[in-house]
Amino acid sequence: MGQLHDQFDSLVKALTPELYRYAMGLCHNPDTADDLVQETFLRAWRSQNTLRDVKTARAWLYTILRNENARLYERQRPDVRDPHALPAVAVHGYDTSTEAFTLRRALNDLDLQYREPLLLQTIGGFSCQEIGQMLGLKSNTVLTRLFRARKMLRDMLENAQSSELEKLS
Amino acid sequence: MNCLEFRRLLLQDPFANDPAMQKHEQECRQCNQYAQEQRAHERQLRDMFNEITPPPELAENIQLAVRLDRRVQSRRQVWFAAAASVLLIVGATITSLVNERWERGNMALAQSVLNHIDDEAHHLREAGPVSRSRVNFVFARFGAALTEDIGQINFAAECLMRKRNGVHLVLPGKNGPITAFFMPGETPGKVIPVKSERFQGRIAPTAWGSVAVVGEHGENLEGMAERLANAVHWPQAEQSVGGGKLGAPAGPTVAQK
Repeated sequence: MGQLHDQFDSLVKALTPELYRYAMGLCHNPDTADDLVQETFLRAWRSQNTLRDVKTARAWLYTILRNENARLYERQRPDVRDPHALPAVAVHGYDTSTEAFTLRRALNDLDLQYREPLLLQTIGGFSCQEIGQMLGLKSNTVLTRLFRARKMLRDMLENAQSSELEKLS
Repeated sequence: MNCLEFRRLLLQDPFANDPAMQKHEQECRQCNQYAQEQRAHERQLRDMFNEITPPPELAENIQLAVRLDRRVQSRRQVWFAAAASVLLIVGATITSLVNERWERGNMALAQSVLNHIDDEAHHLREAGPVSRSRVNFVFARFGAALTEDIGQINFAAECLMRKRNGVHLVLPGKNGPITAFFMPGETPGKVIPVKSERFQGRIAPTAWGSVAVVGEHGENLEGMAERLANAVHWPQAEQSVGGGKLGAPAGPTVAQK
């Protein structure tokens, strides 16, 4: 039990930062992200018996967090603030530059079905097959969504840049 | 690889290590430019996320919450175990008390049968036989009827058995007289042995009460109580004149002797 607890502690230390980033990518709210990560680890701890392989723990935690977010969203639609605005509480490393703001806005405007695989690939570094397993999709569908996500993101960024240039001229 | 294919693959994974893509990128200036822009976006995106760091106390808070949850769970397990033990003890005590009371009730019934025989030992000397109409009259007091011949009957009367009346018969046996009691409302739940220095027998439960058969030692009484019970048609306890519920005896309560 003690060894298991130590292993779990190590898992918390190692994976909290990336899970927090993934949570921020999903909910855009530092308080909610905080809660989501905490709830994810608690749920994982309570159902650790279902985890057969420690190597798959990372993907498993991402899946729990995603489900938690969906549950939270269904329950209370937590963030009614403008998702593009800066968080009320300062988040360490939250880039306040115009480029970062534009990119965040573009990312937030992406539909969740496109944003999720993109976040899992960008933040988690998961393969298409792994993302497919986590989202319950075929690999080809994941590839299509990744393509569309980046295409839309690129179009949105280019449109934003054009608008900025028009304002200046 | 054409430009369309290259851009499709690039947008699926901008850092894919595909030789065919690399070749096309080197050969096509527009796609090269497109790929550089896309990778710049991608780096910007990754940097944006990498710069987000969780509150420094988050990991510690999670570890604390897990420890607390673990403690609560183990405490809950202790409580469950304690509650289960208490319930088990209470259950066992109640069962034991009920069984003890039940056994005591059974013993009391057997003893009252023996006492009744001793108190009315003179009936054992009745030479009989009593008439069939007399027997029918006694059973009819309870709404019951003898439907089969049970042989010679030397004595038949309505008697008070503990709290209510029943039918008292004496029949001739090989070793001496055999006493039979039809006791409506006395439901022992199982066969109860009856034994004294002189007598032996058993009380067999029926749907409406019980039948006791007691004879001298050595008398073969095997299955006799059941045979007697089957030879009598007895209404259900609540319909019986002499067989009301316990504590509320119906019908005649004074021995008709």
